[in-house]
Parts: sequence; structure tokens; C-alpha cells
Amino acid sequence: MPLFLYIERRSLLHRLHPTVKVFSMACFFVAAFVSEQPAASLPLALGIAALIHSAGAWPNVRRLRIIFMLVFVMTFAVWTLFYRGGEPWVRFGPAAISPTSMRFALGMAFKLVTFLGVGVVFLSTTKIEEFAYALTRVGMPYKLGFTMTLAFRLVPVFIDAAATVVQAQRCRGFDFDQGNLLQRMRRYVPVIVPVFMGALRRADGMAMALEARGFQSPKPRTTFERYEFTWRDAAVMASSLSVAALYLWLWQAGWTRVG
Amino acid sequence: MRDLIDMWRNTRMVVLTAMSASLYAAILIPFKVLPIIPGVTELRPANAVPVVCSFLFGPAAAWGAAIGNIIGDFFGGIGPGDMFGFVGNFLYGFIPYRAWELLSDEDPVPRSAGAWIKFVFVVSIASSACAMTIGWGLNLLGFIPFRVLGNIVLFNNVAASLLLGPFLLSVIYPRAKRGRLLYRDVMPQRQRGRRTSRRAGLLVVAVAAIGGIVVGNLLSSGSWHPPFVPPSEGGTGAAAVGFGLLPVMVLLALGIVLI
Repeated sequence: MPLFLYIERRSLLHRLHPTVKVFSMACFFVAAFVSEQPAASLPLALGIAALIHSAGAWPNVRRLRIIFMLVFVMTFAVWTLFYRGGEPWVRFGPAAISPTSMRFALGMAFKLVTFLGVGVVFLSTTKIEEFAYALTRVGMPYKLGFTMTLAFRLVPVFIDAAATVVQAQRCRGFDFDQGNLLQRMRRYVPVIVPVFMGALRRADGMAMALEARGFQSPKPRTTFERYEFTWRDAAVMASSLSVAALYLWLWQAGWTRVG
Repeated sequence: MRDLIDMWRNTRMVVLTAMSASLYAAILIPFKVLPIIPGVTELRPANAVPVVCSFLFGPAAAWGAAIGNIIGDFFGGIGPGDMFGFVGNFLYGFIPYRAWELLSDEDPVPRSAGAWIKFVFVVSIASSACAMTIGWGLNLLGFIPFRVLGNIVLFNNVAASLLLGPFLLSVIYPRAKRGRLLYRDVMPQRQRGRRTSRRAGLLVVAVAAIGGIVVGNLLSSGSWHPPFVPPSEGGTGAAAVGFGLLPVMVLLALGIVLI
């Protein structure tokens, strides 16, 4: 199973300029953020579902279905108990359940699932290099972006190393799920230590390789990837901005609020 | 604070940042020991990594913890709350090595009772600063109450760091020291302020971090309403926690600058 959510396709969303993807994601976050009423979140959620379909990202939704479900259920449970407002039906010490708290909890659960959906669309259509490029375009220093990309690329290497150590320990009859919480936590020490030591061994060689390629050079950087800003990007930016503006207007008018 | 910027001129420190980030993410993803709230958080051995890396790699670990947290989000979905995760994890990786430098000249491997007390203190303030920042931010956005998330993050960080940190450090620290991969060896010329002001900074950080957890819980549960916070009728407690904890957040930032 692939580690990251990116799906290699040539959909319209995939071909957008990285900065436009980040901008649009921010617009959808704003729209979702100001929606407290489930009725207001629903059209947005449907729009996100359409984007997921157009990006061919349903496999990622299936992959994260447990997270989607748990986020919805847990958010609903937490805010049903802890939202303070309305006439309470039942009280449990400091927590209380009221019709208002349930309506708010439902809206918040929709909101967080919508955030998750926006994230899935973005992550399914954006490579980490594109994300780092977009962030550098809006002012993030190049070295920070490079480090982020490098770290992403190292994750599978270290996961492989950890899996190898786990298999080796299991071959020796080592059971990671044995004992109480303290003992189970400590059982991970023989796995983490070799992974750490492997990382330390790589560090020097990697630093030398980077310096040999002029990493600290003050000259302007060049990249293999070129991103053109087209009329499609402008149209998507305008549409995303309109969605955010519409939801802000609805919020201002009080139509998306609870209570 | 200067070493957080200066380290980007040192290629080995940049590589160690990427290593810290990917180690954090690589151990975070496959090893989940015990769910605390399903779908929200679980007790994870990976939460010891930023603290261990902090003692080894110093400023590189602070950036590494922040980037590693973003990588973790890329596996399960991103949202507007991630910026607070970035800052919170940055503090979780930044505070341990700076606090230890001020408290002890010995290696950060607790062997005596005195060293254990210092270690527990350092881990507690780093975990509290991280938990307060994330809990404050996500309650400010209205996503999850401080009294739920703040306490979970605190427990998670303290438990993992205290249960695993000393074991990992006792094995890894001497090897990293022999390999001259500690931040003191990689960045020998580090600018530091006067020891007195740095100690005052540590005191401010400790008071703000630990006090912030207490104040955050009082504000979130509605047990206390400070006079400078605009009155609000129930709701998510976003205004109460957001405004009420703001002076504590400013105090924490001041302490971080001084430390």
C-alpha cells in the first residue's frame, strides 16, 4: 500500500498551478470554517465530494474511511457534551446535553469531515515537491522547503528499516503486544534504537552529498519542474474565492450560525 | 533564538533536521500502542522522539519536530489547526535542550536522582508548552475543547518521553557523542545571551507552560472567567480560552525569546 495519498493522474485538479491549489484549499477551509449549521455545511460537503470524484480520489477516501468515521463520531460526542448553551436535557457533572449542543455538534462534525475532505482532495492531487514549491512562492525560505521534501522522502526509508528490525525481533520470539502499558512502551526501544543509529550513519554522507551539489551556494536555484500559470488557474482561483466570499457573506448575515 | 536561524547555514544541521522530522513521522505511523480516544489520539512511542532528538540535535530537532508533525498530517489529512501543531511541536523540540543547558553541564542521560528531577522538569515544561499551544489554538478555532485536547496532548507527551526517553538516550547519546553528531559538535560557535536572563527566561517558560495548562482547564470548563475577557453566553468557550490564555501565550513567547 502506498504511504502517501498522492494519486498519479492527469485530471484538471492535478494540472493546476501548486500555488493555486494551496490558495483554493485555504478558500475552502474558510468556507468550511464559517459554517456552523449542518444545512450550510452540506452544499460545501457535496461540492468537495464532486472534487474528490473529479480528482479520482475515492480510493483515498476509502483508505481513510475509519478516520472520517471516527472524526465525525468523536467530534459529535465531544461537542454534544461540552458545548455550553440551550436548555439542558441531561446533565453529567460539568457536561450537559441540549438540543442546541446536539445541533452545534452535528455542524462541527460536518465541518471537520469537510476539512478532512478538502485535505484529501489537496493531498491526492499535490506532490510534496509542488507543496514545497507553493510555500516557497508565498515566502517560505528555500532551505525549509527543501528540508521538508527531503524529510518526506526519508520516511519510507526509515519505515522499511523499522519493519526489518520488527521482523528480526519477531523471528527471535519477541512479542511487542505483551505486558502492561509500561512494558509495551519499553518493548519499542530495541526497534527505535537501530533506526536512530541508521539515521545517524546516513547523516554525514548526506551532508557531504548536498554540499558537493552546491547546497549552500547563494546563487539563484533552478528546478526541473516548471509550473505555468494559465487561464484555468485564474478561473479556479476566482471560483474558490467566490465560494469563500459567499460563505463569509452568509456567516455575516447569521445564516450559518447556531444558537 | 539565533541558533534557530544560524543552523540553516550548516548543511549537517539541515540534514539532521530532515532526519529528526522523518524519524518522528516514520515511528509515528507504524507504531501505535494504545488508543486513548479512538480517532483523536493514542499513546505513541514516537512522542519521545522530539525530546530525544532535542538533546542530540538541538535546534535541528525543534524544526524537525515541527516538520515531522506536518508529515504525520500528510498521512491522515490536513486542516487549519495544523499551524498550531507546527508551533506546538516546534516548542516541544526546542525547550528540552535549551532548558537542560541551563540546568546541568552533564549529559542528558538521567542516572542520579538529581538528573532525574531535572529531566522530569524539562520534559514537563516542554510537554506543557506544546499541549497549551495546540489546545489553545484548536479551542480558539472552536474545533475541540482545551480541557479535552490540551490534557490528552500533555499526557501523551509526558508519558512517552518519561517512559522511553531515558532508555533511548542512554543508548543513543553516547554513540552520537562519539560520532561527533551532537549539535554542540556540529555547531560549536553558538551565540547565547547572558546566563541570568536565560535562567529568568526558563522560569518564565516554566510558569507560563504549567500555569497555562491550569488556566486553560479553568477557562475551558467555565470555572473561571477573567474580567478582561468579553462576556459570552456558553458556546465553545473559544472566546474565553482564546482571550483568557492570550496573556499566558505572550508570556510563553517572551520566555522563549529570553531562554
